[in-house]
Amino acid sequence: MDKVYSLIWQVPFGEFALKLDFLGLVFLAAIAVLVVCAGIYGIGYMLPYKEKKPLGFHFFFYFILAIALVLIVLANNVILFLGAWEAMTLSVYFLILFHDEKPSTRKAGFLYLIAGHCGTFLLFLMFFLMAQTAGSMNFDVMSRASFPPALAGLIFLLALPGFGVKAGFLPVHIWLPHAHPAAPSQVSALLSGVAIKTGIYGICRILWILGVVPDWCGYVLLIIGVVSGVMGVLYALGQHELKRLLAYHSIENIGIIAIGLGLGLLGRSHNLPFIAALGFGGALLHVINHALFKGLLFLGAGTVIQRTHTGEMDQLGGLAKVMPLTSVLFLIGALSICGLPLFNGFISEFFIYFGLFQGLMGFPLNGVIACGLGILALALMGALALACFTKVFGTVFLGEPRSAHVPAKTASGTWREETSPWMLLPMIALAGLCSWIGLAPLTASRLAFSGGEYLMRLPAGSVDFAKVFVPLAFVISLAFVFIALALALILIRRFLLGPLPMPVGGTWACGYSKVGPRSQYTSASFVGPIMDAFKYVLLFRKHGGQVTGEFPGKTHVSTAVHDASEETVFSPFFTFLMGLSKKFDENRIRYTQIYLMYIFVFLIFLLVWKIR
Amino acid sequence: MVLSILLHWLVVVFLAPFFLGVISRVKAFFAGRKGPSVFQPYFDLARLFQKKCVYSRTATWVFHLGPVVVVSGVLVLSLMVPLGALKAPVVFSGDILLLAYLLALSRFFMIASAMDTGSSFEGMGASREAFFSCLSELALFMNFVTLALLTRSISLTKMIGADVPMLWNVLGPALILIVASLFIVLLAENCRIPVDDPETHLELTMIHEVMILDYSGVDFGYMLYGAAMKLFVLSSILVPIIVPVKTGLMALDMLFFLGGMLGIALVIGAVESCMARLRLNRVGNLLLIAFALAFFGFVVTLWRF
Repeated sequence: MDKVYSLIWQVPFGEFALKLDFLGLVFLAAIAVLVVCAGIYGIGYMLPYKEKKPLGFHFFFYFILAIALVLIVLANNVILFLGAWEAMTLSVYFLILFHDEKPSTRKAGFLYLIAGHCGTFLLFLMFFLMAQTAGSMNFDVMSRASFPPALAGLIFLLALPGFGVKAGFLPVHIWLPHAHPAAPSQVSALLSGVAIKTGIYGICRILWILGVVPDWCGYVLLIIGVVSGVMGVLYALGQHELKRLLAYHSIENIGIIAIGLGLGLLGRSHNLPFIAALGFGGALLHVINHALFKGLLFLGAGTVIQRTHTGEMDQLGGLAKVMPLTSVLFLIGALSICGLPLFNGFISEFFIYFGLFQGLMGFPLNGVIACGLGILALALMGALALACFTKVFGTVFLGEPRSAHVPAKTASGTWREETSPWMLLPMIALAGLCSWIGLAPLTASRLAFSGGEYLMRLPAGSVDFAKVFVPLAFVISLAFVFIALALALILIRRFLLGPLPMPVGGTWACGYSKVGPRSQYTSASFVGPIMDAFKYVLLFRKHGGQVTGEFPGKTHVSTAVHDASEETVFSPFFTFLMGLSKKFDENRIRYTQIYLMYIFVFLIFLLVWKIR
Repeated sequence: MVLSILLHWLVVVFLAPFFLGVISRVKAFFAGRKGPSVFQPYFDLARLFQKKCVYSRTATWVFHLGPVVVVSGVLVLSLMVPLGALKAPVVFSGDILLLAYLLALSRFFMIASAMDTGSSFEGMGASREAFFSCLSELALFMNFVTLALLTRSISLTKMIGADVPMLWNVLGPALILIVASLFIVLLAENCRIPVDDPETHLELTMIHEVMILDYSGVDFGYMLYGAAMKLFVLSSILVPIIVPVKTGLMALDMLFFLGGMLGIALVIGAVESCMARLRLNRVGNLLLIAFALAFFGFVVTLWRF
């Protein structure tokens, strides 16, 4: 099925070689859908900035990003791949800097750039190691070479942080929670939906090229997935800014994908191709699903932020009355990301769970423990994600408005038009796709499974998926039974209540007279018990809240969850590096002329050496 | 197929409130009272379905959807659970996953409906429910992992031994731990003491009871019915493990099944009467005990490898 295209390119070792295979097709599907939807959304989102900011720059880099993304998944040559990778990194940097008047945005962009380039440095090392062993820079030729197990392990260990920085694996994810809130919403959607997935694509491509990796690689990937997933969702629970919360959820879903990939590697190392296919296929389907529902959620968050001019959940509330369509679409995204039945998140998690359970029953002891850990982690992640998204949906869209940020009704008593159609239509399209994959998953599943089979270097159709497609058919039929039952119950209720509208009153407040919107649960109070339970794992800081003195006055409390990687690992490390470089800086020569003299002398030396 | 689905739903719908009545009768016996009739829940539900609803000004369409999703969810998941001699109409590998996630779907809508009222009471219940469900899901999945290892299957019917009675003298230790763990999860999911008090609506004690505080009339009837059916279905998952009798005669098997269900109702009533509700920060500990019991069951099972 591989379609190959090649051009002569005047770059040393470079070759403009493109190849479309099933693995690339999975990622290309996600890229295509999300680039189009986010682009159309961007037109509506950028309209308020029309005279005030240079939109041309923004859309220029958007198109460069789109081209770079497509080239990354089609590239068949190391130089082309790395060139497209750099193009993607730089264009995302410029896209994030749309609001560059804010210092936090500039810091976020710079952090992203540094993190991206640290990863790219490791990628350079890794690719040159592979090209050295295989003797060529072409992926196809490299895949036919054989790598000794120690070297394969080393390449895998370089690929993990190299691609993992972009993907958002836990210890090296620190740029994500800063970059996503800083960027405009359609850029966040694209970043979280597809740019992160290029990291996963890179790992998949390396696994394809290597062919056989040592057994421990599967365990490593599974552990990374478990840690990223659980910690990601715990960090997300502690956030009260909408887009930062969604950014941490991306880390959780990358963890789920890593669990699937780890399961696939385990299945391969124990020679059970069905389990491996389930693991890889489930992970690839989750790539598509995550792009869809995370894109939908970010676009919905963008609509909320554009209307209310704030992303703080504790300032919002009751938006379902102001923006009913957005609330329905956001709910579909929330149900999908929690992996609940009727939507696409359940389907990919079903495949990964199914594979883990098959592994539980089929692997020897080590594999049993690994699969058990994977199942428990997935269960915990699902429940915590449910807590998180009920918090988000409940705090932002339901209840009473908590501040003046929420728009009020106009003088005539109606709501202003919800939002521009440019922004609504892509969200409706994405929600429709989520429901389609949730209720008719065969097409998407077959695509993902063929990608998985290609990754395992098996010919298409060699693994028999009937064992999982038959249960899937039951799941879908039960989903339709559920919908039919729900409709029947609504009709029964309508019949019992009669045609007249029901009386409306205030919410029962148990007799308290001074109940207002401020007494509602906020995002911090909703997750209070969970944060308390996990306080030894999370850096949960609480400032203030103490009332002092005999006649206590007003006091102030603030709570925050600090990112452990950032605070305990990277910040001190960068501070140390800055201290070192300051020391060198003190002793530097301050005259440019002396540096020019050095260059001149070195040139003379080179000329003399070469002419001899 | 359609006939067996309808028969299954008929049994669940008609028998579920009876067990609520049995539990309150047992509690009355412990308290030295005569107690309400065992059929009282039926009368309550009939009364509720004849009443109109009052809706809050703050509520949106999510509030209207809540009860419907809860009842549909529990009815669909009852299709995968065998009831004594009545085989589950829908059996497939991996149905435990759909079961757990249908429970999660109804939980999502219950929490969202609670937040929809804009009251801090419902928010309290919602926040506690969100937390405890994390721990009870952990315990539930740990049990599923152990049962999958024991029975080499991930279909509920085969896992709880509904097809072949699991021999207690061979798999005894692991099964005792699983039964204890699943019983605690049952108490937690269904709003029973020591996790939650089904009788009162005080903010100190409530988790599930407060999330439905603002419902009235038909909606409240749906919620109560959903809770009763959930208790019935989750208890009927426990019965085949405790009473692994398979005579082959349909009437005798149904009798054993009903006997097992009445036994569980008796135990729940006894637990409710003899214990007080735990302080909220201890409820998490209780659910972690359930997880630990299941984990030890897992270790015991692995030992046999």
